[in-house]
Amino acid sequence: MTLHRETFPAYLRTIELVCRFVGKASDEAGFDQRTRYGCQLAVGEACENIIKHGYGGEGRGNILVTTESSAGEVSVELRDTAPPFNPAGKPPNLDLDPENPQVGGVGLVIIHRVMDEIYYSRDGDCNCLTLRKKNRLSI
Amino acid sequence: MEIKTTEYKRAAVVSVSGRVDSATSGELETALKALIGKGTRNIVLDLSAVDFLSSSGLRVMVTTRKALKEAGGEVVIAQPSDRVRETLELAGLDVLFPSHPTREAAVASF
Repeated sequence: MTLHRETFPAYLRTIELVCRFVGKASDEAGFDQRTRYGCQLAVGEACENIIKHGYGGEGRGNILVTTESSAGEVSVELRDTAPPFNPAGKPPNLDLDPENPQVGGVGLVIIHRVMDEIYYSRDGDCNCLTLRKKNRLSI
Repeated sequence: MEIKTTEYKRAAVVSVSGRVDSATSGELETALKALIGKGTRNIVLDLSAVDFLSSSGLRVMVTTRKALKEAGGEVVIAQPSDRVRETLELAGLDVLFPSHPTREAAVASF
């Protein structure tokens, strides 16, 4: 198992760096390009929610990202010190109405369609979200 | 992200390259709103060079489609990259945007 940990300042422009970090873990797991991209997309959506809805704006804290990868599996833990907030709360419906999509909920739909396991907990002053991908992305 | 706009008789072609996410989608939204504001009714989004499309980018596409539909127009996609196709499929919004293999075919669809 390979573990990487890095702290990123909570700015929208740094989400790209988080995605690269996740891409590296996906490569170590041997994921195909589609699954790799899905993981980057899902983690990027979670980070956007932390920045916009957890911290309530940019530059108000950090996101500590830890990746664990082994053959065919990646786990990404996101820790932030925003007020209690689950950045990946399950949307009521994973099937968006194409003619009238709730545009704010699209990110959550993506997170839940890509990742195989999602856990949220409050650990002291931290929100702790773990996103796990075990299988090839099938969509 | 880079945006280049070319206007034809039937439609405007907006070519986007790079990463379309929460940090950059505002720029795309501004460019598309400016086109609609000056009377453009049909827009082709050439997304062949987009290597990352997040839900923020999708939101801009959906709101643009809505504005154009209300004005009697439409937005279509030309040459979507694999990444663009994957985001649209994951969100289940691929059905909203007719897709064409070339810019020429997309413009000719209007």
